Amino acid sequence: MSGTKRGSRNLLEDVLKAGLCTGCGACVTGCPYMAIHEGRIVVLDRCTIEDGDCWRHCPRTPTDVSGFSEKTQGVPFDFLEPGAIIAVEMVRSVDAAVREKGQDGGVVTALLAFALDEGMIDSVVCSKKDAGGAPHGFVARTARELLECAGSSYEAAFTLEAFRKIPAGNADRLAVVGVGCQMEALAKMKAAAPVNGGNPQNVQLTVGLFCGWALRSDIFRPLLEEICDTSRIVKFDIPHSPGTSFDVYTKDAGKISIPLDDIRPAINPACQYCWDMTAEFADISAGSAGSSFHGWNTVITRTPRGAGLMKRAVAAGIIEIQPLPESRMTKLKASALNRKKNALRNLARKSGTREDLGYISGLPAGLVDALLKD
Amino acid sequence: MASVIAADNPGAAVLLMGNEAVARGAIEAGIGVASAYPGSPTSEILPAIADVSGERDIYVEWSTNEKVALEVAAASSFAGIRSLAVMKQNGLNVALDFLVNLNMTGIGEGGMVVFVSDDPGAMTSGNEQDSRMAAKWFDNPLLEPENAHEAKEMVAWAFEFSESVNLPVIVRGVTRLCYTRGNVVLGDLPAGMRKKARFSDVWDMYNPTKSKFTATPSPVAHRLLHEKFEKAREILENAPFNRYSGPDNPELLIIATGVSAAYSAEAVDVLHLKERVGLLKMGALWPLPKKTILQWLSRTKNVLFVEEMDAFMEGSVMELWAGAGLHDGGIRFHGKCSGHFPPCNEQGADLVIKALTDILKIEHQLIDADYKREAAEYMRLVPNRPINMCAGCPHRATYWAIKNAIALDGRNGFVCGDIGCYAMGFGPPGFFQARTMHAMGSGTGVANGFGHLGRFGFDQPVIALSGDSTFYHAALPALVNAVYNRSNFTLLILDNGATAMTGFQPHPGTGVLATGEPAPVVDMEALCRATGAEVMVCDPFNLTETTQAILTMMKKNAGVRVIIMRHLCQLVKVKRKIAPRYSMRVEPEKCIGESCGCDRLCTRVFGCPGLMWDSRAGKAMIDEAICVGCGLCADVCPAGAIRKEEVH
Ligand SMILES: Cc1cc2nc3c(=O)[nH]c(=O)nc-3n(C[C@H](O)[C@H](O)[C@H](O)COP(=O)(O)OP(=O)(O)OC[C@H]3O[C@@H](n4cnc5c(N)ncnc54)[C@H](O)[C@@H]3O)c2cc1C
Ligand code: SF4
Ligand code: SF4
Repeated sequence: MSGTKRGSRNLLEDVLKAGLCTGCGACVTGCPYMAIHEGRIVVLDRCTIEDGDCWRHCPRTPTDVSGFSEKTQGVPFDFLEPGAIIAVEMVRSVDAAVREKGQDGGVVTALLAFALDEGMIDSVVCSKKDAGGAPHGFVARTARELLECAGSSYEAAFTLEAFRKIPAGNADRLAVVGVGCQMEALAKMKAAAPVNGGNPQNVQLTVGLFCGWALRSDIFRPLLEEICDTSRIVKFDIPHSPGTSFDVYTKDAGKISIPLDDIRPAINPACQYCWDMTAEFADISAGSAGSSFHGWNTVITRTPRGAGLMKRAVAAGIIEIQPLPESRMTKLKASALNRKKNALRNLARKSGTREDLGYISGLPAGLVDALLKD
Repeated sequence: MASVIAADNPGAAVLLMGNEAVARGAIEAGIGVASAYPGSPTSEILPAIADVSGERDIYVEWSTNEKVALEVAAASSFAGIRSLAVMKQNGLNVALDFLVNLNMTGIGEGGMVVFVSDDPGAMTSGNEQDSRMAAKWFDNPLLEPENAHEAKEMVAWAFEFSESVNLPVIVRGVTRLCYTRGNVVLGDLPAGMRKKARFSDVWDMYNPTKSKFTATPSPVAHRLLHEKFEKAREILENAPFNRYSGPDNPELLIIATGVSAAYSAEAVDVLHLKERVGLLKMGALWPLPKKTILQWLSRTKNVLFVEEMDAFMEGSVMELWAGAGLHDGGIRFHGKCSGHFPPCNEQGADLVIKALTDILKIEHQLIDADYKREAAEYMRLVPNRPINMCAGCPHRATYWAIKNAIALDGRNGFVCGDIGCYAMGFGPPGFFQARTMHAMGSGTGVANGFGHLGRFGFDQPVIALSGDSTFYHAALPALVNAVYNRSNFTLLILDNGATAMTGFQPHPGTGVLATGEPAPVVDMEALCRATGAEVMVCDPFNLTETTQAILTMMKKNAGVRVIIMRHLCQLVKVKRKIAPRYSMRVEPEKCIGESCGCDRLCTRVFGCPGLMWDSRAGKAMIDEAICVGCGLCADVCPAGAIRKEEVH
């Protein structure tokens, strides 16, 4: 499925130095030659392994995307659609307290807390913000811990580091929350389990987050420190309207709006090569793009497993649902496709030819030309 | 037991190392002061004298550097007390600025010998050089002994020579001389009261050089120096260290200096050339004993020079010959000029044999096939030991932290290395971190310069290293310079409590004198703080904390930051009988060895010699014979397979 066999030396050359690292966190745990430092993956020394986990699981090493789709979603891959779809709806948590803490409708937190509660899973690999609002991979075992993790950080969170830290042999049934590249890495781990650490066979549920881009901590943090006392940060938001500001909510100063353009220099350049806005390899994906109202999520239910959870959660009165208007659906699909075109275009520009799309392989012949013709 | 160095047993033959023979020679000459800075291959001379300093009433000191050592010795000579200063070749360079003035001013009434050893093959050095060139360069008498016995005789003789010409005398050794044992016939020890030290207060109009030690007016002093030099030449013409053996009119004349004379004699012997080849063995080299040499040149048509390192004699004799107008003599000169000897590395009898067979066109099988085969077999039995830091060495911990800090920092930081065990940091033991290495203190000096290149776009963080002894030797002025001139780098002082590389000599930070007596501690930390640098102290064995400290200091990116890495040298711990802290073992079930997630981190990268790789089992092991129980590898193993248990 994944193409070549390589090691950290190639990861360094072909991913890290090539500016492709998304900060998913899949490669670093269990490897003494790599570390995370200030939002970067750092290679500390020379490893001679030529068939390494790091290369195998990195979402930016050659990936046969259609092969993966079939394996994880059980349906043939259609690059023109935003992944496998059972339903696309507007959803929110019934509990106002969850909505309050959650990023949009609090659906992700509500669903996972419910899955913990009903015993579908034992723990959730997600991301928790530290005292300064910086995200780190975290394993939540209770609804309370989950609620502490609610709300988005827009920095790359290296969440999968925490997943890989779960010792082999640990029997917890897991849910994993993450953005598209993290779902891809997880899919790669399911296809070939890591040699040490992380139990992909125990993953019962994956919840994807829509993602436009993530920020590089080493650039974003200093910006943030200039405008506020980071230890007082409550929440970040990028409101749809007017769509030009990045809001930081703090305990003392309330909302501080920064022009989105000021934040853009901190966007991880690797994100321009990402094709996956809606986390297509998840059981359920949630975002806000497309939803009509503030405080609601747009949720794509992708797999029967995801559908079952949604159904039980509605029945239990945990979440409430409204249909997504047709026009919104069209818009969502258009932006997801647009994202793919951009990624292909940027990859082709990087390599200098459409024949070489870097890490993406397995796309039907002619499709790329058709997509990039305008 | 009284040291054999001071045995009062004239005429007895004892087995002494070259270095001990030098010490004995100085003692027989009745020196009152000996000073040195440690440096292999000369490091054993001062301790040998220190051992008997009480009974022989000699003041000995480890000086902070060679220039100071030379100055300390010179003062003693100025006051009429014989003195010896000892240094290796690099040390001479440090001391030169004083020496080039000292030979102008003269040394007064107490004879003075400067013993300098070169290190052909750089067995214990960072460089190769021929120190004899200094003698020719600034007109200083020079002697070079052939073996341990001659070293003793020559050093003792050199004091008288020094006094008779009022000049310091350089005695040049090489590693082979310093570390080879040979029979030495003891001479008389000085008896009776030592004379009183006194710095003359008499302004002697007629003999100013005896009572005034300034080289001004220099032209006058320089002229006087040359006058003394002619006198010195006369003395050397008859010195007992230049000897000829062979036929009256040799087909080929070998002119060999120092240990090369022994190699040459062996070669002549092996080739049965005693009837054809003459050997002029030279020990008294400079000022060139012209008459002696010309006398032998006039009796031959072929000359072969054999000497360690540069073409010192070769060039000088050829100059002499050219200047003497004897060209019609038609001599062919051989040596470095003819390619028979390389101008680098150690020479030996083999090379002389090769040169002789080539020049005289004789057949000789250098090494027979059986011998070659046998030698190869024995070589297989010799374990291959790559250069490495010791098990438990704190430098390995420091380099590990540096390596990780530089990688984490991510701005292509680098290390300016320095002289000491940690110089190995250019290779695997220091994870290839040290990127410059020159002279003592140069790491800090070079870092000074890098720290000013920001204006030209230079944006890499710079780390300078200095050993503790190196710090007092020559890094301190560079640190002061850095603070004063607002440079930008991090200095790591590797304070392992000894001058480890050369044999654990004490230094100003240790609180111990050369004699073992207690001394005031010159507080390194306070010294650094006084410069105005930001200073912190770390134990490199706390790897995480140390890495963080280096990282934090690197990130500051302004001013001079100092981290003192304090952890006792492992060999000093052994000397002080400090018991191992941990008992170590590898749990084979946990060791993941060659697999992804380790790739033999401990034995392949970390590289402590206390760890072994069992290739059959595919597991790491502790080598009980070498492991010193420092526990560091347990903190490095990613699998938690290396266990440390506190020993009570
Ligand atoms: C980097 C990033 C970019 C995004 N960009 C878009 C976008 O362009 N358009 C869009 O519609 N939606 C985007 N989202 C998704 C959106 O912010 C919400 O996460 C999503 O709508 C779910 O809302 P919720 O109220 O259900 O979340 P919550 O109930 O608050 O749960 C959020 C979950 O996300 C996890 N999380 C928080 N930060 C991160 C992180 N940095 N990486 C991984 N997991 C994290 C938390 O652990 C928590 O479990 C983005 C999210 C992230 C993390
Ligand atoms: S994208 Fe993920 S797996 Fe790849 S290098 Fe970055 S953090 Fe590692
Ligand atoms: S002992 Fe630890 S570091 Fe050494 S090979 Fe085994 S797992 Fe790797």
